[in-house]
Amino acid sequence: MSGSLAALAPIERRPRHTGARLFVQALLARSYVRLVGSLREPTWMISDAVFPNLGMCGFVLLYRALGAPRSYEALALIGGVLTTYWINVLWGMGAQLYFEKMQGQLQLYFAAPCSRLAILSGMALGGLVITVLRSLVGVAIGVWVFHIQVAPFSPWVLVGVFVLTMVALYALGMTLSSLFLLYGREAWHTANALQEPVYFLSGLYFPVRTLGALGAVAAGILPLTLGTDALRQVVLGPAAHGLLPLGKECLALAGFGALFLVLASRSMAYLEALAKREGRLTQRWQ
Amino acid sequence: MTLASVRGSLARARTAAWLGWQVEGNWADPVLFAIYVLARPLATALILAAMYGAVRAHGGAAGPVAAAAFTGFFVANAFHNYANQVLVGLGWAVFDEREQYETLKYVYASPVGMFTYLAGRSLVKYALATVSVLATLLVGWFLLGVRWDWAHVQWLPLSVATAAGLAATLFLGFLLAGWSLVLARAAMVALEGVSLASYLLCGVIFPIDLLPSPVRWIALGLPFTWWYEALRRFLAGHGTLGMMQRFTDAQVLQWLGLTTVVFAVLARWGYFAFEREARRLGRLDQTTLF
Repeated sequence: MSGSLAALAPIERRPRHTGARLFVQALLARSYVRLVGSLREPTWMISDAVFPNLGMCGFVLLYRALGAPRSYEALALIGGVLTTYWINVLWGMGAQLYFEKMQGQLQLYFAAPCSRLAILSGMALGGLVITVLRSLVGVAIGVWVFHIQVAPFSPWVLVGVFVLTMVALYALGMTLSSLFLLYGREAWHTANALQEPVYFLSGLYFPVRTLGALGAVAAGILPLTLGTDALRQVVLGPAAHGLLPLGKECLALAGFGALFLVLASRSMAYLEALAKREGRLTQRWQ
Repeated sequence: MTLASVRGSLARARTAAWLGWQVEGNWADPVLFAIYVLARPLATALILAAMYGAVRAHGGAAGPVAAAAFTGFFVANAFHNYANQVLVGLGWAVFDEREQYETLKYVYASPVGMFTYLAGRSLVKYALATVSVLATLLVGWFLLGVRWDWAHVQWLPLSVATAAGLAATLFLGFLLAGWSLVLARAAMVALEGVSLASYLLCGVIFPIDLLPSPVRWIALGLPFTWWYEALRRFLAGHGTLGMMQRFTDAQVLQWLGLTTVVFAVLARWGYFAFEREARRLGRLDQTTLF
């Protein structure tokens, strides 16, 4: 009897991996859950891939009704494709920890022996991969339904600008997720309220330059504004009516990415401590 | 139906409206709540105005015809808030009660009755939508220059059309609420889809001529298409160009009335059919952790 108790004694187990390796493993594990979870529910695929593009269709048809140049339809198409990413950042990143709290499993995240940032990065990576696939639906609608055509452009530049935009955007999502950690229903409502105003401030369906000074302010706050403008400049050239030269926009996007990654890390540590102190981590139905 | 039973229903609907208001609004102070309610409709209105401004700045959409057409689209977009709030909102109320708060079963167990409860909840949604519509029109009028000639407003047909449009919104809201009872996790997607599809199908911001031919016929079968056309004619003073020009003002009202009655009958029957099905399938207290 005493022998079997002695065998059970060392209950404090060390994780097999620590440091960078644990970070990467946690990141990949969370990405896997995000990917599998997204593919498991077919209706979510429709809502994420098709619905954002329905709004875009309406705006393209409005341009047709107003007799706008065809390049404006391409502008709206690029904006419509980017809404898919903003929705994913807002709901799949920002509000995700609120959903976890509502489902009663947020505490498991905090009990896990890995970095919170690794979990958030995994959510971002998985969300990005699945959203890239879904955003192709928007491109297909633009090409085959609306017959939108663009002049040849460098795919490598496009990929580079896209990566910069996505790093900045998903880093913002990581920051938002820690902010939403504290809240209950407010998180849901905030995400809801941020959707269309950001569409407007990012000039997703019209040239950002149309906003004038407001557009410049938005570009200084929202990576989506700069990313939208930069991607349009790559694809449409002068017809994009760009806000800033492409090089400057890329630099600013890189700066946004670094800033939001640091902010995400700091705010997660601070707000986790605050949420624990105020007893909100496990609070449901508030 | 006796007077006492009507009074009882009204009292229950009033209680449901009060509860709805608490559910919708007690998470924030009034200023924050007002910002929340107005952010979405105002942003959409500003997007439309910015698109129109961008086209005009580059030489398109010039002249009074284009301006009048845009005014019509803007007005219809403002009134589409009723569809977003009431039509889709009633379905969301069911979804929230069942999934979020897990209280739908208690509503069923109470003597209020689900249909009356939903009617009460719709009152709050109507109030919020009305605030959104007025704010959108005021921002349009004072900040964006979206104006119409008040002398051309046809008040009587406008009132009739608005009453019919609001009734159609409510009945279709009941239908969607019933559908949400049957759907479990998919209700969220279905509601969002209906909201977006109605924006496209009813030609809120473009003439339905631009839709593919079979879809155009579906659009003509929806009361909202006729309601928005009536709003353009009787409030903004100009109907949509294209195929809608074939219809006289009286015909627009007739089609609005007819489609509203048909949808009201279908929606009432559909709601109770869905409710029975939801009970049979045991969906009233089913949670999926969406």
